[in-house]
Amino acid sequence: MNAAAQIALQNAVNGLLVGGTYATVAVGFSLVWGVLNVVNLAHGALVMLGAYVTYWLFTLYHVDPLLALPAAGAALFALGYPLQRVVINQVIRASFLITFLLTFGLDLLITNLALAAWTADIRSVTTPYSGGSIALGPVTVPIVRLAALLTAIFVAALLHLMMTRTRLGSAIRATASDQEAARLMGIPIAHIYALTFAIAAATAGIAGGLISLSFPVFPAMGPGYTLVAFVTCVLGGLGSVPGAFLGGLILGLVQMYAASWLGPNYDNIVAFTVLILVLLVRPAGLLGRGYRFRG
Amino acid sequence: MTAVLQGQGLTKFFGRLVAVDHVNLSIERGEIVGLIGPNGAGKSTLVNLITGMESLTDGTLSFDGRALRGLSPSAIARLGLARTFQIAQPFRSMSVRGNVAVPALFRSNPAESVGAALREADAVLETVGLTAKGDLPARVLTTPELRRLELAKALALRPRLMLLDEVMAGLTPAEVDTEMAMLRKINAPGVALLVIEHVLRAVMGLSHRVVVLHQGRKIAEGTPANVTRDPQVIRAYLGSAAIPDSGAGS
Amino acid sequence: MITAIRRHALPGRSAGVLAVLALGAALAFPAVASTYYIRLATGIFMFGVLASGWNLIGGYTGYPDFGAAAFLGIGAYTTGILMVRAHAPFAAALLAGGVLSIVTALGIGVVLLRLRGHYFAIATLGFMIVLRQLAANLELTGGGSGINLPGASTFTGFYYWMLAALALAVAAGIALPRSRVGYAVAAIRENQDAAQVLGIAPLRYKVLVYAASAFFFGIVGGIYAYWFTFIDPPTVFNVDFTIQAAVMTLFGGPGTALGPLAGAVVLKSLDTVLTNISVFLHNVFFGALVCLLVIFAPRGLAEIVRGGASIAETIREQLRESRI
Repeated sequence: MNAAAQIALQNAVNGLLVGGTYATVAVGFSLVWGVLNVVNLAHGALVMLGAYVTYWLFTLYHVDPLLALPAAGAALFALGYPLQRVVINQVIRASFLITFLLTFGLDLLITNLALAAWTADIRSVTTPYSGGSIALGPVTVPIVRLAALLTAIFVAALLHLMMTRTRLGSAIRATASDQEAARLMGIPIAHIYALTFAIAAATAGIAGGLISLSFPVFPAMGPGYTLVAFVTCVLGGLGSVPGAFLGGLILGLVQMYAASWLGPNYDNIVAFTVLILVLLVRPAGLLGRGYRFRG
Repeated sequence: MTAVLQGQGLTKFFGRLVAVDHVNLSIERGEIVGLIGPNGAGKSTLVNLITGMESLTDGTLSFDGRALRGLSPSAIARLGLARTFQIAQPFRSMSVRGNVAVPALFRSNPAESVGAALREADAVLETVGLTAKGDLPARVLTTPELRRLELAKALALRPRLMLLDEVMAGLTPAEVDTEMAMLRKINAPGVALLVIEHVLRAVMGLSHRVVVLHQGRKIAEGTPANVTRDPQVIRAYLGSAAIPDSGAGS
Repeated sequence: MITAIRRHALPGRSAGVLAVLALGAALAFPAVASTYYIRLATGIFMFGVLASGWNLIGGYTGYPDFGAAAFLGIGAYTTGILMVRAHAPFAAALLAGGVLSIVTALGIGVVLLRLRGHYFAIATLGFMIVLRQLAANLELTGGGSGINLPGASTFTGFYYWMLAALALAVAAGIALPRSRVGYAVAAIRENQDAAQVLGIAPLRYKVLVYAASAFFFGIVGGIYAYWFTFIDPPTVFNVDFTIQAAVMTLFGGPGTALGPLAGAVVLKSLDTVLTNISVFLHNVFFGALVCLLVIFAPRGLAEIVRGGASIAETIREQLRESRI
């Protein structure tokens, strides 16, 4: 295989690997948007908190990050439920500007509290296997990124099964497609909303944990991931776990190729251009017609 | 050719569902044409096709000789084609007067200034009997008043054709009479009307000509008297679940 | 949420007299105040312009522009580049910044204003982020190092420039609802489909108002650049400007002419007090403030105040409407 082809292939692999992480970031965001109709600008901050949970568990108690993921998920779940039930719920039926501003305010609050608690120092999680990689033919696959992708697939599959095979999943989908009808059937809406948000927060936490393995951790890291989540959802179609996954992979691939072509400084421009093109050409996203939380 | 609206072979597919099936429809200047048919016959879709809110799958459509295909809804409105909505669509926090001033400002021969448009709005409000409510925000109006407002806004567009989508729905017989008188008054100077209705007494009383749609196709056309005797029409109405309403309460 | 009708409107003449008095006081202010208070006032004016400008597209037209700071950056950089590289005088550079903001808004507006709701908001934000990244990578803009502008001899000039911009912005806010374009965008805000069947082609009117709003952000950017003498991408292409403008508008009453200014005065003063206590706490409090405001006073303080004696009841009613 010649050098150019090998680079292209390596880019593809890198793109898919990071795409899996993007997917995990996006899937909770998509859930909240699809079910609660809230675009959660604080989603990235939740990811950041998850990253810090794994960081501290690793640094203080030497818990392997991959094993700490459930803890990150649980912690964010515990935070997410009251956050939705008590705070966000107050404005859930107001205009989107209001919810936008509220989640923005929450993002500001969480980020600055984190800044106060942990300083702006950039942290990273370095495990014994952090630098290792596997050679698969002509491409090199870093172990942590592979682990991240596998975990992402696992979490997505779990979420998908929950949404399609469990009673809770049915309740969530019912609430998303027709809130009034769901209420009339005895579904406790406020509780379902809070649970949905908590689940989404948990996935954000897990995503944060995965991110801490390969990327720097610092309080202001959130907004970049919120943007990733947004673009992924637009790409892949709202309210669809497979859609979020597909969107994440595509975004990862596009960014990798753009980076190798234009240089790393243009990643936002690429993401934005993709966003605009998709919004104008196919606003429902690639899998927009997949199973949708909303009718 | 005095046809103000000319539609040939109008067809609309939604996926594989045929909503409107090769309908020919023409409306002469100053005519009142009634459009009736059971629920789901395609009347609303036809209206949306004419006003440009839906795109034609096939067929030609022209207004005063101008082809309508591909024009935006606002361009079609500016040509002089007004419509009212089944569910009134007021600008809720604008004043009633302001609501009516809007079309006066944006039709093809607009009022010269905002002030002129507001004065014109007052005159139109007088015609529909809403003068007393001119200063109030539109959201406080009752449903019948909102219908009047819809009518007033359509009038302020100075249209040559008005599409009236079920303006009689839910009105008492007395209110239907008042409404019919108002529509005749509007029609008098030569404004053509396409009246989509379930209240048959109103349609039959107003229309020079009636068109009947059923499952997207035109099944009858003629004077009100002839159409009501047409066996196909009777079968369409009695055969379907909807029973025609000949006036609320009667 | 937005009323196009002014309740408790002052009769035209006394409002006019008040305006003249206020303007007179503002013009005379620097003669009697210390530099600290002149700076404070200039800062308040600055956010008054931003809030009033934002309100045109965000409040009155109903298209919340979360990327408005893009134009602040354009104005800042245009002014900076022209003054530093072309040795242009400030006034000319400032005007050029305003014009370029308008032109850019017209160009990108025809694309962005086809989007609605969340999508519009994020797309405009994305636009700002793109410009930020461009500014950080281009040689013309000095890349990550930014641009250093020449210093001005005195500060008072900035006070008057900002005051002029404020007067213009408030005038725009008063003029818009009474103009033909204003009726168009009000109709679009209330019901875009109904507006269309009444002859309004939405895009052109939205773009016009968007461009007007961009002008004000651009002008502020230019003045900001000369005032602070240093600009770099994260400083000017900063969503904080936009969020503050939005929150001030919301607080003061969106869709009113003076509401955004009132919001700016109150919140910026509060902001200054907090910053004097602790810069960090200021950020935390701002975040908390936004949350509280949005929950308890989504229609702005004006609505609460109109609730009269029973403020608590007004708040409770708003909450009842907006929660599950």
